[in-house]
Amino acid sequence: MSGVSTAAYFARRAAQKERVRILYRRALKDTLNWAVHRHIFYRDACDLREKFNANQDVEDVDRIDKLIAHGEAEYDKWRHPDPYIVPWAPGGSKFCRNPTPPAEIEILYNYGHEDNP
Amino acid sequence: MALRNAVLRHLRVPVQNLAVRGSNQSQIGFLGSIRAFSSHDDHLSKQDVVDRVLDVVKSFPKVDPAKVTPDVHFQKDLGLDSLDTVEIVMAIEEEFKLEIPDKEADKIDSCSLAIEYVFNHPMSS
Repeated sequence: MSGVSTAAYFARRAAQKERVRILYRRALKDTLNWAVHRHIFYRDACDLREKFNANQDVEDVDRIDKLIAHGEAEYDKWRHPDPYIVPWAPGGSKFCRNPTPPAEIEILYNYGHEDNP
Repeated sequence: MALRNAVLRHLRVPVQNLAVRGSNQSQIGFLGSIRAFSSHDDHLSKQDVVDRVLDVVKSFPKVDPAKVTPDVHFQKDLGLDSLDTVEIVMAIEEEFKLEIPDKEADKIDSCSLAIEYVFNHPMSS
């Protein structure tokens, strides 16, 4: 059963790899949220990478599923209550704050230099 | 006095193109078709984007800076891992102050895709 490489097996593996990548991305962002200072962040990011690398050679699909579920549970446990979100993104402070001005209006920030074109 | 004012109002002194101070060193080619200090110039130029993305990729510790070109593939040409790709995409997000959704970030696999995404994003700065 472990030697059968059908399209379904590869599709499942690909879906798992995508889940792992997204989980790593979120965990890294979360680490940055918790460890604001870069030197602490680099250390924690290295530890996180080690945790992911330790399981990278597992071949059994069910075991991989369990590991991913365990990882996502850990991520849920460690989520930051006030994550940094880029201001214009949903959840940020500038999101939906002002409507975008119409494209015809152009503001010239040349106070004091109006005489020079 | 009124005559002087009227004359002055109609006199035009030829204006020289002074060096434009401020953050916009755009080419004033066609006599100021791109205005300086305008609110419409907040888009990065393609060369800027390329330079900054390549700088980010070159400063990644697992990457050999000599091999980095604008169309290099992270996993095939640079020999990086998929997790390394995730790290590079995060570094690009931080560089350009973007927030890339997870599904989009997963698809960024090469320098050319990254440059295209950043250049076409309206909020990259």
